[in-house]
Amino acid sequence: MTTQPLDERPREDDASSPGSHGGRVTNRRSFLRGALSAGVAGVATGAAAGAGIAAGLDGGTPAAAAAPAPVVPFHGQHQAGVATEAQRNSTMVSFDVLAANKGELTDLLRTLTDRARFLTAGGTPPDPGISAPPTDSGILGPQVPADRLTVTVGVGASLFDDRYGLASRKPAGLTAMRTFPNDFLDAAQCHGDLSLHLCADNPDTVLHALRDIARHTRGAMQIRWQIDGFQSPPRPSGTPRNLMGFKDGTSNLHGYDTQQMNDLVWLPVGDKSGWAAGGTYQVVRTIRMLVEFWDRVSITEQENMFGRRRDSGAPLDGDKEFDTPNFAADPVGTAIPLTSHIRRANPRTSDTAGSRILRRPYNYNRGIDSVGNVDCGLVFICYQKDLATQFETVQKRLADEPLVDYIQPFGGGYFLVLPGVRDANDYLGRTMLA
Amino acid sequence: MAVSVPTRAVGSALLAVMCASLLGCTGGSSSGTAAAIVMNQGGCGGTWTAHGGPHTFQIKNGDIGTDEVDLIDPKTSAVYAEVEALAPGTTRPMQLTLARGSYAFRCYPEDAGGVTGPTVTITDGPTQGTPAVLPVDNEVLLASVKAYRTRITAGLVQLATDVNKLRQTLRGGTLAASQAAWLTAHLDYERLGAAYDTFGDFADAIDGMPDGLPGGVHDPDFTGLRRIEYGLWHGEAPSSLAAVADQLGTDVAGLQKAFPTQQVDPNDLPLRAHEILENALQFELTDEADQGSHTSLATVNANLDGTQMVLDVLTPVMQTRYTGWSQVADWMSRTRTELASLRHADGTWPPVTDLDASQREKLNGDVGQLLEVLAPIAAIGDVRRTS
Repeated sequence: MTTQPLDERPREDDASSPGSHGGRVTNRRSFLRGALSAGVAGVATGAAAGAGIAAGLDGGTPAAAAAPAPVVPFHGQHQAGVATEAQRNSTMVSFDVLAANKGELTDLLRTLTDRARFLTAGGTPPDPGISAPPTDSGILGPQVPADRLTVTVGVGASLFDDRYGLASRKPAGLTAMRTFPNDFLDAAQCHGDLSLHLCADNPDTVLHALRDIARHTRGAMQIRWQIDGFQSPPRPSGTPRNLMGFKDGTSNLHGYDTQQMNDLVWLPVGDKSGWAAGGTYQVVRTIRMLVEFWDRVSITEQENMFGRRRDSGAPLDGDKEFDTPNFAADPVGTAIPLTSHIRRANPRTSDTAGSRILRRPYNYNRGIDSVGNVDCGLVFICYQKDLATQFETVQKRLADEPLVDYIQPFGGGYFLVLPGVRDANDYLGRTMLA
Repeated sequence: MAVSVPTRAVGSALLAVMCASLLGCTGGSSSGTAAAIVMNQGGCGGTWTAHGGPHTFQIKNGDIGTDEVDLIDPKTSAVYAEVEALAPGTTRPMQLTLARGSYAFRCYPEDAGGVTGPTVTITDGPTQGTPAVLPVDNEVLLASVKAYRTRITAGLVQLATDVNKLRQTLRGGTLAASQAAWLTAHLDYERLGAAYDTFGDFADAIDGMPDGLPGGVHDPDFTGLRRIEYGLWHGEAPSSLAAVADQLGTDVAGLQKAFPTQQVDPNDLPLRAHEILENALQFELTDEADQGSHTSLATVNANLDGTQMVLDVLTPVMQTRYTGWSQVADWMSRTRTELASLRHADGTWPPVTDLDASQREKLNGDVGQLLEVLAPIAAIGDVRRTS
């Protein structure tokens, strides 16, 4: 499906759908101006994303003027938290579903939808009077701010067993995460029936949302694994850095680019997608970075492994971060080694254009290990319309790259992000359960 | 005091109620900001009006004593919302969703009987708002407390009997027999649903954990059932634990003697409904309490018995007040079924740490959900003034 040249593929225009997060953006700057003049909460999701990227392209002009809207709309053709601008704080949570039957699974998804709808909009939690303890944890104060919270829900292949009669509903493209040659997977930190990605501007908002959702769903699902993540601010400008010190995501797809999203990320309406149309495949890979070892490596070797300068993020054949590497002009890898990460990941040929993915990674830091080293790394998250021809194809190209000595993928899973919730009467997974 | 005289003389204000919409100027079904409503002596809340919908009353105590203020349904005296322990001169918000129906403030001055303000009828807004719940007072809980005492008294007799058997077994029996006698006595105690301050200092003496003792498991103050467990599963000769068991017997006898004279705070009973299993989740399902016997699941089972005892005696109070009451039985049953499915055919239990991840998730999910549905019992059963 993605072998077709990009420019020949039919375009879907989801901007015609009210509440769509994609939004048709033909000109970043005019779109940004529109958002500024509107100046209202709820309008500016796509605009905020556009503003952030535009600032990056301009070489770090602060996007402060376009203060992000506090609310990311929940309803739409697609779930928020995929193509919308990445907030600074997140938690990725995998659940096992305990619901006793399909009816309880439906109740669970309706409850999840209700909680997500409230939490992402913000508001005053209902007061139970004397009938119950407080309905809200209160950690965000008496009124819950939206804080640009997004709640993104996916389902894993394991949900489609015989428990809920969903075996025949499993999309052909949804598989369990493979074990790749350089993996160090811990079974307890892999897979799951349901993924929940919570992202917000502030960490207390993320934790508040997790506590709220868990409280309302305890008997129906339990947490299998969970990892918090943060996105660093631009240092000093451009794309945020990972914990190896390198800018990570310079050549990423743009969430605001509807055509890119339709070509490479969203599952289109049609027989092939079936009930999953509007959804997307989510890959989560939790990757430890062996930073103490890494920090003992010379800068030249580090840069050759990535293919970019550490300071500026420029490709090794360029001057500035957003310079396009010219691999064709460097066939033997004199400037950018053939084994470098950027060259393997995205060779920038017409054959490989279809394997591009939308990355939405977060850094993690969770204490120390038994030899006193810091346990930190990357919660790698990416979205695509086809796991095999996109993520897995990229991953195969990366096999045994020099960087693998400094990283340890230890967990994660594949999930199908459910189609968006259209309106107040809709709920997550409705088409799956139909 | 001289200062207070003019206040009372001029204002005579016991309670001022200011109404303000949560939605503020953005509109909605609620009223906008209304003028403060002042209560005069002999009344409560004065005249006020409001529209249905989310609403916040600012409750001000103009009295010289601490007041309690409820918003009630004057037809049934059921309580929609309350502000407890409102100190003189202070203002606190009372937030709720007003629905169509009748409302009145009821004030309980510290040193006088309750006074009900005028009835206000809300004619717009939602049909269902914050629910009104019939308040529970000491009188309402009297029968429950009596039934609870009867059951605990019987349970203590059983405990004393089995502790005596344990003492004898430790003196002459085998290790296996001693371990079996220990488990019987321990489950007797866990079945009583002792959580937090149920039995005061006796609780620590009978079933205290080594945590918090400087010497841990080797601390001389580590006594009781858990100390015996530690010894029996850590290579100590049963007879060497006889002295600990004698002390245990003395402590159980002491509790038996003291219990009839111990005040049972009626407030505690509704609290126990979830506290017993809070402990089970925190200490047993995590395996933290285990001193070697690996009988945490047996303890959880006994804790479910203890919880059921509390639920049984509270049924007459709760079934008419708690709209989610039927869920309690549902989740008790689900938890019981899940736990029973883990039990070996010979009646023994696997160590909680031997369960696989999915078994633990299921059990944790059931107990977690059960705790969520038990929690409102404590809120509803909180003893309130009604006169």
